[in-house]
Amino acid sequence: MRDTTNDRADSSSSDARRPPASHPWDAVEHPPVNPKTSAAIMVAFALLAVTVVIFGGNLLNPKASTTDGDYAGETIELLIPLAEGGGTDTWARFVGTELTREIPGKPGFSPVNEAGGEGISGTNRFAASAPADGTEILVSTASTVMPWVLGRSAVEYNFNRLTPILATGTGGVIYARAEAGVRKPEDLLNRDAPLKFGGISATGLDLTTLVAFDLLGVDVDAIFGFEGRGPVNLALQRGEVDLDYQTTSAYAPAVEPLVRAGTAVPLMSFGQVDDKGDVVRDPNFPDIPNVAEVYQSLYGQAPRGETFEAYKKLLALTYTYQKAMWVPGDTPRQAVELLRASAEKLSQSPQFNQEVAKVLGGYPLLADQQLAARISTAYTVDAPVREYIVNLLESDYQVKLE
Amino acid sequence: MVESAVAALQALFAPEQLILLLIGIVAGLIIGLIPGLGGTGAVAILLPVTFGMDPEQALALLIGALAVVHTSDTVAAVLLGAPGSASASVTMLDGYAMAKQGQAARALSLAFLSSMAGGILGAIGLTLAIPLARPLVLSFGSPELFMLTVLGVSLAAVLSRGNVAKGLTAGFLGLLLGMVGTSPTTAESRFTFGSLFLADGLSLVAVALGIFGLAEIASRVGQVDKPGAVVELAGGWLSGIKEWLGYWGQVLRGALIGIWAGVLPGVGATAGTWLAYGQAVATAKDKRTFGKGDPRGIVGPESANNSVEAGDLIPTLLFGIPGGVPAAMLLGMLLTYGIQPGPAIISDHLDLMYLIVWSFAIASVLGAMFCFAGTRGLASITKVPFAILGPGLVVVMLLGAFQEGGQLGDLWVMLALGVFGWLLKETGFPRAPFLIGFVLAIPMERYYFLTANVYSGLSWMLRPWVLVFLAVLVVPAIVTGTRRGRARLRPTPEDPHAEPPPEDQHEGELVGSVWSRGLSAAMLLVFVAGFLAAGSFSPEARLVPRLVCAGGAIVAALLVFTELRTWRRTAEPGVTWTRDVGVALKTFVWMVAFLGLTTLFGYVAALLLFVPAFLLYVARAKPRIVIVYGLALAIVIAALPSLIPIGLPIGLVNTT
Repeated sequence: MRDTTNDRADSSSSDARRPPASHPWDAVEHPPVNPKTSAAIMVAFALLAVTVVIFGGNLLNPKASTTDGDYAGETIELLIPLAEGGGTDTWARFVGTELTREIPGKPGFSPVNEAGGEGISGTNRFAASAPADGTEILVSTASTVMPWVLGRSAVEYNFNRLTPILATGTGGVIYARAEAGVRKPEDLLNRDAPLKFGGISATGLDLTTLVAFDLLGVDVDAIFGFEGRGPVNLALQRGEVDLDYQTTSAYAPAVEPLVRAGTAVPLMSFGQVDDKGDVVRDPNFPDIPNVAEVYQSLYGQAPRGETFEAYKKLLALTYTYQKAMWVPGDTPRQAVELLRASAEKLSQSPQFNQEVAKVLGGYPLLADQQLAARISTAYTVDAPVREYIVNLLESDYQVKLE
Repeated sequence: MVESAVAALQALFAPEQLILLLIGIVAGLIIGLIPGLGGTGAVAILLPVTFGMDPEQALALLIGALAVVHTSDTVAAVLLGAPGSASASVTMLDGYAMAKQGQAARALSLAFLSSMAGGILGAIGLTLAIPLARPLVLSFGSPELFMLTVLGVSLAAVLSRGNVAKGLTAGFLGLLLGMVGTSPTTAESRFTFGSLFLADGLSLVAVALGIFGLAEIASRVGQVDKPGAVVELAGGWLSGIKEWLGYWGQVLRGALIGIWAGVLPGVGATAGTWLAYGQAVATAKDKRTFGKGDPRGIVGPESANNSVEAGDLIPTLLFGIPGGVPAAMLLGMLLTYGIQPGPAIISDHLDLMYLIVWSFAIASVLGAMFCFAGTRGLASITKVPFAILGPGLVVVMLLGAFQEGGQLGDLWVMLALGVFGWLLKETGFPRAPFLIGFVLAIPMERYYFLTANVYSGLSWMLRPWVLVFLAVLVVPAIVTGTRRGRARLRPTPEDPHAEPPPEDQHEGELVGSVWSRGLSAAMLLVFVAGFLAAGSFSPEARLVPRLVCAGGAIVAALLVFTELRTWRRTAEPGVTWTRDVGVALKTFVWMVAFLGLTTLFGYVAALLLFVPAFLLYVARAKPRIVIVYGLALAIVIAALPSLIPIGLPIGLVNTT
């Protein structure tokens, strides 16, 4: 290869060095191909290309549609706006597979990941272009709902224009490093120095915790930028942060050993929002008081006011109904009802509930008839609540929303 | 413990398990061969297949694939200059250089043997590390991770021997590009011009494949009339193995660095492989041959490449912190079986742990053996004129890169970086520092802020491991400095060899030309613009970008000054145009046309036009070959989505 320097500059001199006749196996034609042959080949391929464009898409992926609610021969396409392998993806594929088996007509199941923009891109696309024929379902989770709540400019979807089919919740517990001098909720107040809280991003799931801290009047120094709750848990074990929270599925493996060893202390659970909109104890943490109860024990009265309303709203959105599946609002009613009823049947199956305890962390699949109404209430965010959240982010955490 | 280990091995040899392991190995090898897919592609493709299997079988399949992906992704890197994954770009530095000297088989043999060793050592390390992992991970906090990223970035300087200014500029540019996206601590979008697509940051696969792979295709397509490099099959198996054994120390060190990099959550496979390379360079007495086909640049990194996958399993399984996307998917799969990550996993599922270890070890051995056996066949790809390979490679590489995010924008980014990479190559800028900067930008910033916010003042600098890393960073610089100082005082006969041996004559055609001056000036402008643009970010989000832009601007200004001075001094206009430059630019235009067609009409239609047209008008291939090649490729690509979960870009025409 080193002796080719001279060849490059002058192609005609290299002509003289080429073998005169080309061997049958030689891929390259030394004199250029006959222009007529080239043109003929190109026209043939162009025709093929046109054929592919016209028929190709439909041939390999027939478009599904079910306006009459009959799913025989159709494929349910589940849009997961996040990357494969995460908690939401695992949940979506699991529930989606089981749900599709319940739907009469034995439809196929096709989960599609469309990650991007923390889930905003895929959800945008679904809201803009998903056909309302009952075969396209959107997966939502706290990280796609939060930007909508906060009114971020990148969001082009509106959950009030989608119809929910099913939802699942989760819970969480805020705990502290014992060595930081926090052994009970009372120790959170009146400290000399703020406690360090490890977070991922102020505009994600952490926001609910931040509002809880604001409600309780805890002086917190929030350090964002951790890559996940796992690293924050590690940082707490190293003594780098003092406060952390973990969701239910991670609590047992990540926090309980620490509690047993005495290095960590569970302070409160987030709780759950019941049908009446009140904050009640999380059934998976029956012995841990929820945020409202802790407030009561600290201040002698039940929590009230704008901050508490914001907390309840966030609790419902990001915990009680953390993950949900939706169809476009103008999907035919029979299709919606069939999907929801299948989901409800699934939620009542004892075998499903057994298997799913591991994946759903012990929270029921919600698909009853009143689900749509409850979700509609939960997903209606008043202006004062939104304003409070935006102000909190700006004043306490220097986060300007775009 | 020994009984469980033996029991797990026996369980693995049950026919169904073994078959699944073999399928995993073969699938992993094939997927690794295709640039762009990598471990993520392997797990994404195989995961749906595991639904309904028992956990043992699913693990055998997936681990079998994961263990060998990094063995076969070296092939495209060495033979074609297209790294199969970002970490393969490390091996590519010396491997590709060696292949261009006609020793492709030697490079591949060294690589495969090292992969095998790395895999086995990784599996051993996995077993031993389990009790040690917890204290190790807990003693490594943000300060230590920060120092590691700094070490990694300082590699940029090490790798730009011969032209430090250019290397540093490329490194700073890589850092800047790595910051496009969302700030790790304040979640603001930076340098995204309002685009949601850019807010995710640039895709690593697109950047690595573009700057190395596409750039390479464009520059090699010009060699239409030349036969491929002569493949030297000197000596056969035994001499290859004997030579490899001579480097056992490098292999061992590479494997250890790989395992350790994998165990630490926060240090990815790419960074781990670079660290192994850096270690090889730093501990070598004679560094001049690195980057030009030095075997030490292959054996250490390849070994690390494989062992890091093993090490990665530790934070995944023990802490539930996946080291990368494949590990995250593995974790998700385990959760559906009710297998929770955490310290309890060792006691509750010891049998599965050993199954993983054995699968990894056996897969590494078998994978390397299969690859080794295919070395001769694989190396003969270099006999095909590159212009013929070119269009097929472009189609496959773009498709591979598309799988990561399913966004057409990634392909345009890849193409843009292809042009940029070609410019860098021709004007004599090293590209490796760019990639290092790109990979480590966000982790470095993240760990810096975590360190600064958690620890008050500079107390963190006194932590033991931080001091060790500081020493590793500073001591070699001092040593080289004193050595050079002493050499200047006492000139030795070695002086004529102080300059590194000449690069491959094909590279750097445009050095000292108007292209080179223009590029340096453009880089300076970019840094200045970046500095100004960072003014609109919040204080915390603008600190590191500004530091990077300031550093980059200083080095770029120095570069422009040097270029102008050389220009004035030599009074030569320098090369402005050669035939190869013309061909390369033409090739890029063809690629743009292909992407444009894809955007409008979809992938299959676009390739039905691009491939035959390119073969006929640029490669001047025979009609028979054009027809067969074009049709075969189109049929394979069109049929692929029905067989494996792979997505094809859809044209605007087809999205109603």
